[in-house]
Amino acid sequence: MKINYLLSIAIIGIALGSCKKDDTTPTEEEVSNAQITAGISLNVNYAIYSDLSLKSINLYNAVATFIASPNANGLTDCRNFWKGARAAWEQSEGFLYGPVATENIDPRIDSWPVDFNAIDALLAGSTDFTVEANIDALDDALKGFHPIEYVLWGETGNKTFSEFTAREKEYLLALANNLKNLTAQLEQQWNTTSANPYVDHFTSPGASNPYYATNKAVFEEMVNALIGICEEVAEGKIGEPFTLQDPSLEESPYSSNSIADFTNNMKSVQNVYLGKYSADGHGIEDLVRKHNLSLDNTIKTKINAAIASLGAVTDPFGTAISSQQPQVQNTIDAIEDLKNTLETDLLPFVQQHVTD
Amino acid sequence: MFNNMLQTKMTFNKLLIATALIGSFTSCRKHGEVSAFEEEDWYAGGSQTSYVFGAGAYGQAFSSLSASEMFIHDVGDKAFEATFVSAPAPKNSGLGPIFNNVSCVSCHIGDGRGKPPGIGEQLTSLLIRVSIDGQDIHGGPMEAPFFGGQFQQKGIFGVQSEGNVDVNYSYITEYFADGTSYELRVPTFSLSGTYTGLPAGVMISPRVAPPVFGLGLLEAISDNTLLANQDIYDADGDGISGKANYVWNIQKQKKTIGKFGWKAGAPSLIQQIAAAYNQDMGITNFLFPTESSYGQSQYDYLNDDVELSDSLLYAVTYYMQTLSVPAKRNISDPQVIEGKKLFTEANCVGCHKPSIRTGTNVAFSHVSNQLIFPFTDLLLHDMGVGLSDNRPDNMANGNEWRTPPLWGIGLTEIVNGHSNFLHDGRARTLMEAIMWHGGEAESSKQFVRNLAAGKRSSLIKYLQSL
Repeated sequence: MKINYLLSIAIIGIALGSCKKDDTTPTEEEVSNAQITAGISLNVNYAIYSDLSLKSINLYNAVATFIASPNANGLTDCRNFWKGARAAWEQSEGFLYGPVATENIDPRIDSWPVDFNAIDALLAGSTDFTVEANIDALDDALKGFHPIEYVLWGETGNKTFSEFTAREKEYLLALANNLKNLTAQLEQQWNTTSANPYVDHFTSPGASNPYYATNKAVFEEMVNALIGICEEVAEGKIGEPFTLQDPSLEESPYSSNSIADFTNNMKSVQNVYLGKYSADGHGIEDLVRKHNLSLDNTIKTKINAAIASLGAVTDPFGTAISSQQPQVQNTIDAIEDLKNTLETDLLPFVQQHVTD
Repeated sequence: MFNNMLQTKMTFNKLLIATALIGSFTSCRKHGEVSAFEEEDWYAGGSQTSYVFGAGAYGQAFSSLSASEMFIHDVGDKAFEATFVSAPAPKNSGLGPIFNNVSCVSCHIGDGRGKPPGIGEQLTSLLIRVSIDGQDIHGGPMEAPFFGGQFQQKGIFGVQSEGNVDVNYSYITEYFADGTSYELRVPTFSLSGTYTGLPAGVMISPRVAPPVFGLGLLEAISDNTLLANQDIYDADGDGISGKANYVWNIQKQKKTIGKFGWKAGAPSLIQQIAAAYNQDMGITNFLFPTESSYGQSQYDYLNDDVELSDSLLYAVTYYMQTLSVPAKRNISDPQVIEGKKLFTEANCVGCHKPSIRTGTNVAFSHVSNQLIFPFTDLLLHDMGVGLSDNRPDNMANGNEWRTPPLWGIGLTEIVNGHSNFLHDGRARTLMEAIMWHGGEAESSKQFVRNLAAGKRSSLIKYLQSL
């Protein structure tokens, strides 16, 4: 039944999509595909990486202040700035293509799990944390968000400011510095004023562009990345610990920040679709609204439903997988539902309508 | 139950997309009009062809997987991405004590291709095989005492690695027949700061991480089909021989044809993967249960082997067996069409065989009896002294390399952000890779050298369409 329904849509789609002129030829005031990709790259991708870079600087400064004179407020500041930078990073996971992948930045800032033994040994040893090359040489599981989280919160999540050792403080500062530098690289790659940035490939497809020959390829890239993050959250980040009922599979356990992480991942989808982060510009919605208001409505409704479903999980995620099972199941259902719409409706839609 | 429904739907949707794409390509053709395109242009991987051409192009599952098969594929996918940490740990325990990298994906980024380090940079996705003169009891390379068959340049915290890998580059300038110059980059790898003395006469072979899609289809090619292309003594006198490597197959306890790796040194995907877990990450498994550091000062004496469960090894193998092949792009571009002709005229197809049919395999129907377009014969060929690593690997001598598949090669840049090719990534462009060819490919290279600039660019366009 379901299959027949989908099939008939596909057949109609093919019949409508081929051998006839586009019945809604864009007029001058309508938004072009190039304007949409330029809008998204500026107001979403660049804006978020810029914010991530800024918030990583804030985190670094807070850590520097804290280690100079440790106190409870200073530690709270560090934790809040970590969460701030984390929010920006999770909102960037709806576009994990480009330098974040090819320059191997993702694994260096967001590897998991934390290597406890190595961190303990590292802290007990004599590695000079003030030498940046020593931090660069560390394995992925010893740097980035999660080791910082581990040091800031402690394994049980209730570390106090007086428990920080001198070595921990040095390590923390070095990790915050490393994060600051790597996120600055991302910002540079999406900054149109940099020398030869990746964003130029993204916004100027063409025959000589080694990445994208057409705007259609750019749109496919964007939509596939949205599908990818929905799949990752529903089936991996939430699905795995939930299905196996194993809280040790949670990704941000020390800070109990996982639900916020997932919510920011869904907001990432929303940002790209709307073309909006702090500023609102052209997004995928401009293309969809031109041809299919009903699909636009469906996508927005499902994004909101996914975000709302996560809001209904009130216990920390590691607990919720056993204490709030219906709510957690609802998040998986809502995110999968959104993913299916993106995959079966939005992807073919952009393939049909983005013809340049 | 829930998962099952989802997966069925997803798989089905991918088919739909393919149907829709094909529909839109073909529906405007008048009845009776002859298509200029061939099967190659539509179905690079036979029925396991995918239509995602962005950063995720190499990571698409077969569209024909059932829900339960998709589940295994996903388990393998997650394991492929899993970061290992030092033992003992609750998750992903057992990294090292000495290793090259911490996860599969950290070398095979986006299921794709690695690259060599720049001068003074650390290795990220290239490793060094080492051996000394002679052969082991199965005819494989003779391990270097106290280093084994592979050089691990990293150690877990507090453990000394085997040493450092240094690279230096020199450059040579050559000319096309029309006088245009091009530059080739010549890497020199060396080992330094080793934890103990290197044995005399140690031989090293640098290898970049190759892409991992389409491997299930390659594995499904029958021995007879491969051997039909073999021409060890060049009986047909075309200057191209082609020879199968025969290597020790642990599961079969005998030598079988080597199919994977730059020198075809691995007989099966599972053995290739199990060896990579053991050698690259220090993760022991049922095929390679002994730590790579055994007998060396770095050995951990932990009674925690094997570190990877059998089922995870099978799942990762299944993951790679079920990654599809991206379809060609820009097939109607006149330059691509011209480039395709040149590719044949230059006799690149002598080794980079465009098509091959997989064997019938009732037990694994997804790859059974498929006409695929990998552009390889999977055989060893002499590539000349320029590319030689001067290190024998089973029946391959230093000059001999397995023809690598070319399918999907045009997407390297978008997936991996670089265009470095060949076994050590020395070529910085596809054209440099061509101009490095020698030995059996010498006349093909000369053909390209004599082409006019426009035709050279067509040839590259064609490769980029793959």
